[in-house]
Amino acid sequence: MGLKIENVSKRYGEKVAVDNISLEMNEPGVFGLLGTNGAGKTTTIRMLLGILKKDSGEITWNGKEVKRKNVNFGYLPEERGIYPKVKIFDQLVYFAELKGMKKQQAKEEINYWMGRLKVEEYKEMLAEKLSKGNQQKVQFITAILNNPELIVLDEPFSGLDPVNTELLKDVILELVKKGKYIIMSSHQMSSIEEFCSDVVIINRGKTVLKGNLKEIKDSYPAKRLEIDAKQDITADIENAGMKIEKNIDNNYEITIENEDKAHALLKTLVEKGVVLDKFELKKPSLNDIFIEKVGA
Amino acid sequence: MKDLFTVASFTIKDMIKRKSFIISNLIILAIIVLLFNVPNILNAIMGDNTSSQNTKILIVDEDNIFEGTLEQINQMDIGYEATIATETITFDEIKQKIDNNEIDDALVITKKDGQINMQYIVENLAMVSQMPQSLTNAISTIYSNLSISKLGLTPEQIQTLSGNFNFEMIQTEEEEVQGNQFAMMMMSLVLFYAIYFCAYQVSSSITTEKTSKIIETLVTSTKPKTIVLGKTIGIGVVGLIQIAAIIITALISSALFLEEGALDGIVDFSTITPFLGFITAIYFILGYATYALLYALTGSTVSKPEDVQSANGPIAIIAVIGFYLAYFTMMNPTSELNKLAAILPISSPFCMPFRVMMGIATNSEIAISIAVMLVTILVVAQISIKIYSQAILNYGSKMSLKDIFKMYKNKNV
Repeated sequence: MGLKIENVSKRYGEKVAVDNISLEMNEPGVFGLLGTNGAGKTTTIRMLLGILKKDSGEITWNGKEVKRKNVNFGYLPEERGIYPKVKIFDQLVYFAELKGMKKQQAKEEINYWMGRLKVEEYKEMLAEKLSKGNQQKVQFITAILNNPELIVLDEPFSGLDPVNTELLKDVILELVKKGKYIIMSSHQMSSIEEFCSDVVIINRGKTVLKGNLKEIKDSYPAKRLEIDAKQDITADIENAGMKIEKNIDNNYEITIENEDKAHALLKTLVEKGVVLDKFELKKPSLNDIFIEKVGA
Repeated sequence: MKDLFTVASFTIKDMIKRKSFIISNLIILAIIVLLFNVPNILNAIMGDNTSSQNTKILIVDEDNIFEGTLEQINQMDIGYEATIATETITFDEIKQKIDNNEIDDALVITKKDGQINMQYIVENLAMVSQMPQSLTNAISTIYSNLSISKLGLTPEQIQTLSGNFNFEMIQTEEEEVQGNQFAMMMMSLVLFYAIYFCAYQVSSSITTEKTSKIIETLVTSTKPKTIVLGKTIGIGVVGLIQIAAIIITALISSALFLEEGALDGIVDFSTITPFLGFITAIYFILGYATYALLYALTGSTVSKPEDVQSANGPIAIIAVIGFYLAYFTMMNPTSELNKLAAILPISSPFCMPFRVMMGIATNSEIAISIAVMLVTILVVAQISIKIYSQAILNYGSKMSLKDIFKMYKNKNV
């Protein structure tokens, strides 16, 4: 059960915006949708939410076609939008009612979320008078106030200061604990690594990498080694056939060809009785993998 | 249905709460009150002349040529309050009377060599270039009557001289036109502006939602159809409220500030019936709906406020053609072209209410015209909603007609 996107494609004239993309989300959590600008993320999201019609493929939620009546979803678009001349509270009530909530229930939810995201003092203010970050928090409330099962967040952290980024992260984790399915599109790889169990990387409309984030990272061999030793071990490293990139007070950053050489070096150092504060094989970060996959 | 009501009521609240809306409407209502007060204001500025709006004239007949009959001028209702003098009054004395505002003008009648001379004396010739025709005719008539009375004719003979004419207007066409054409043309103009500007606001409102990027949140909250129709209904209701406020203000102002019968020469009130009010409201709604839906289409094809006007250009041209077709054929309301204008959906809202007012619209014509409008609205709504659903997410430059046509033909929507 959950969300299933199977072989979905979309063309704009001659241009293929999304080419045969598939992904699956079988349990609550955060799914990362990655790609460069223009890769087809927003088109995929729009098809998923039914704003755009797909040319081919299937998108289902719990086995049913994704439609407004079948799925209670929330959406934070990449393009931030708000009615500039309308009071914050009034526009939140408007969207809540459009999403099928009763007025009283909507007011209670709005009050809760405005308090939770620390924007309650702007309730009676016109939206245009709010800072961009606060406008974004208001729009985030619009996406989640109807207690949706499926939440799509397109670049949720862009434009937020570190304090508000942390606040939003807490809320997202809270939503995951409540069993929500969240699809997050972001350029901030650290955020994706922090939240997402599964990812898909799209490039020019095509899937270039897909799967469990930990498994993906594990499948990449370590290419760097970091050692913090109590004494000079330059000769040992060079004898092991490795290249030192940086050495500051016996803190070494080393490029390795394979992990076996690193293991052999560790054995040598231990046998020699060298005291080590740190010996870490560095796996490539998601950022490294992303650049490798789409940067060429 | 609930969403439709939610969108409509949000649109209404959003519009009527805006300061610009409140201020502009208060200004319009104040202008209406002011217009109805123009006569009172003029009186206040120029002094209250209501008791003697007539020109005070001194007529000097020192040779008694008219033998005292000039007093008849005061009974002739030609706008003069005459004082007749048979003694000699000098030019300086007359000048002083004018300067002292005792009189406005003077007429000195003298006879020399069988010729009757008249000197019309006014304060400044720049204001009166020649002797008023009404006064000339009155004096001429009085003199003729005096001369005839001296001929010793019988009353019957005198009556034959003056002629007893009875004038009657008869038309060759069967349809009889009632009401005042000028008033109807003015009202047609008002209806055109009401429909046009209310409909135009739908376009601006849609583009504003695109500009502010709220549209993406909106289309995931409800159907595009609901947004277009809800917005159209909301702005239409506000337009109706505005028109009602204008009409009510005008009626109250006319009752409070105008003298009874002051508008009789402009509007034939006997032609203003509840049925006419009903028909006018119906045509406002239908006309507004047609143009509003067309503007919804054009509004969704642009994403910058500065492009709204050029995108709306073709619709504005259609509206102006429709209006002028109705307006000019109204000069000949029984013509076939006017009948056509009352049926064509682009012109019927500006034409049919006035054919009803003139009493020349048949029930079948009204029914056909309304049916044509309803079909047009359904077709336009279907096209507009389809284009809107696709075009609202187009944030690029203004779409061409070719793009719009392509979108409409796209079956995958």
